[in-house]
Amino acid sequence: MKVHEITLEKKYHDAVEHWRRHNFKDYELLLENWDRYFPTDERFCLCAKLELGTSDQVQVGEHRGEKKRVAPDELTEEEARHLLGIIRAQASTEFGSIQQHSGTLERAHDDQDRFWVLRVMAEELRHGYQMIHLLLSQDWSKASGGVTGREMVEEILSMQTGNHVLDAFNLDYDSFLDNITFAALIDRVGKYQLTMQKVCAYRPMADSMPPMLREEAFHLAAGVIPLRRWAKRAAAGDPFITMTAIQHAVNKWLPRGLEMFGDERGGETNVKFGFKDMKNREAQDLYLEEVRRMIRDINARFLRARFPEIGAEQAEQVLADLERNRGAHRGVRHDDLLRLPDRRFFRRKGEPAFAMVGVDGEAFTDVEEYLRHLAKNLNEGYVASRDMRNYAEALRGVAAGTLAVADAVKKMPKLKRVGGTCPCSKGVRWVMEEGEGAPGAPASGAGA
Amino acid sequence: MPEAQANIRVRPLDELDIGAIVRIDERITGIYRPEVWEQRVGYYLRRDPEACRVAEADGKVVGFMLADLRAGEFGLEEPGGWIERFGIDPDWRGRDLGRLLFEAIVAHLKAAGAASVRTLADRGDTRITGFLQKLGFAPSPLQALEIRLAQPPGEQRR
Repeated sequence: MKVHEITLEKKYHDAVEHWRRHNFKDYELLLENWDRYFPTDERFCLCAKLELGTSDQVQVGEHRGEKKRVAPDELTEEEARHLLGIIRAQASTEFGSIQQHSGTLERAHDDQDRFWVLRVMAEELRHGYQMIHLLLSQDWSKASGGVTGREMVEEILSMQTGNHVLDAFNLDYDSFLDNITFAALIDRVGKYQLTMQKVCAYRPMADSMPPMLREEAFHLAAGVIPLRRWAKRAAAGDPFITMTAIQHAVNKWLPRGLEMFGDERGGETNVKFGFKDMKNREAQDLYLEEVRRMIRDINARFLRARFPEIGAEQAEQVLADLERNRGAHRGVRHDDLLRLPDRRFFRRKGEPAFAMVGVDGEAFTDVEEYLRHLAKNLNEGYVASRDMRNYAEALRGVAAGTLAVADAVKKMPKLKRVGGTCPCSKGVRWVMEEGEGAPGAPASGAGA
Repeated sequence: MPEAQANIRVRPLDELDIGAIVRIDERITGIYRPEVWEQRVGYYLRRDPEACRVAEADGKVVGFMLADLRAGEFGLEEPGGWIERFGIDPDWRGRDLGRLLFEAIVAHLKAAGAASVRTLADRGDTRITGFLQKLGFAPSPLQALEIRLAQPPGEQRR
C-alpha cells in the first residue's frame, strides 16, 4: 500500500483551484476545521495518487495475461476511445457531485454531518483531479478526434448541473436528505465502478483506483450513518424527519443510480478490453443486493429505536414478519418502513426505459395515473422540478406512440453551458441535445 | 449452534457492518449502543477500511477487528499498527476467527509500512490477554499510565 502523489502542472492545478473557488466555497472552512472533525487523520491533499506495486498483467478480457498498457498508444484506437469515454465520464461525476452537494449543504441538521459531507466533497475534488491527471499525463489525440488534453479539461471544468455525462449528476438536491441519500446510493455505484476498474488493462487507471476506493468507503459511511440516525429520530416521532421522506429520497436516486451502470444488456466491451471485470447487469445485481441490505439495516435501527425493549433477534423477527405479511406490529405498519423500489421503477434509460412500473413493481397502463403515482412517491420539491416536467412530457409522448423510447431518451433537455470556460460567466441556457447517445447510453457507467 | 462447516470469509470493514457489530457487542456486553459503533466505524472507515476486518460465516458477520496505522504519537515516529476493538460472536468462539482477522490485518499493516502492532488490554481480563498472548503479543516496554482526576463536588463522573 505505497502511494505516489503527483501534482498537476501549475496552470492545470490553478484551473482546478479556480473551479474550486467558484463551486466549493466551504473548502477553506473544511481545512480550517479539519483537526476538529478529523483529528489525527492525514491532512487533505489536492493531488493525484497512484498505488504502487499493483499487478502489471491484464487480468480479464482478450488481452488477459499480457502486460498492462501504460500509454494510450499501446491501446487500439477503439480501446483508447472507449477508455477515454470512461475517464471523462468519471471526471464529470466527480466535479458534478460537488456542485450538487453545495446547494443544500447549509441545511445540514448538525455540524458533524455537514463536515462529513464537506470532506466527501474535497475527496471528490481530488478524484476529479486524478482523472484530469490521467487525461493530461499522456497523449490521447488518437482517441479524442484531435481534442487536446487542455480542451478536455476545459470542457470538464465548465460543466454545470444539467450537462454532466450521467443523469444522476444533473439533478439538483432538494434538501440535505438528498446529500446523504446521494452518498449512500450514488457513491455506492461509484464504489462498484472503482472496484471493477481496479483490474483495468490501462495501468495508470488501475493504479488510480485503490486510493480512490479507500476514500469512497468513508463517503458511503457519510450517507449511511446519518440515515441510521435519522431513522432513529423518525422512530422517536420527530415531526421533521420521517421514514416517508427518506423513502422518497431513495425513490428519487435509486433509478438514476441503476442507470449509472449503463444499459443492463451492455458492458461486454469493457470486459473484452480488460477495463472492468463485470458486465453491467452483473454489477447492477450486486449493487441492488447491497442496497437491500442497507435498507434492512436502517429498518432494524428504526425498529430498535421504536421498541427499545426488544433485542436484536426479536427486531429481526419483527422485520421479517412485516416484510412477509405487509401488515403491522404494535402500530408500525409495513409502509412505515423503507423498502427497495422495483428496479424498473421511474427508469428513463436502460432496458426498462420509460416503462410505467410502480415502486412495488406494479404495472401502469395509464400515463396520468403513473405520473400521479410518481408524485405520491417522490418529494414535493423534486416533483415540481423542470426535470420531472421534461420526463412527464417525454413519457406522454412514448405512451401516445408519438415518440419512440430511443428518441425520448435523447429528448430529455439538459442545462447546457455555452460560452467561456469559467463558471462565473453564468453562460447557461436550456437546450435540447441533438443526437446524443441511444437508450441506455453511455454503455459504460461511472460514478463519484 | 452454528454449522460446523460454515463458509468463513474475512474481508475489509464496510459501513453496512455497523448493525452486525452492534449486535455482536450487545451479545458480549449486554449493552445496545449503536451510536458508539456508528462513531467508531465512521472513524475507521475514513482512516483505512482495509486495516479493519470482519469475519463472515455463510454471509453473516460474526466477528470484527478494528485497527489503524499511526505514526508520530507519543514519540513513536516509526509507523505502527494499533488494534483498538475486536469481538467474536459468542456462538462462534473457538474457531480461530480472531486469529484469521488478526492475520489479515497484520498483512495489510505490514504492506503499509508498520514495524509493529500494539494494543492496550485490561491486565485483569485474562480471556482477552490470553487471546492476545496466543497471537504473539508480549508486554511492551511502553507502559500505559493514568491519573484519576478528582471531580468538583456535586459533579458526577459519567
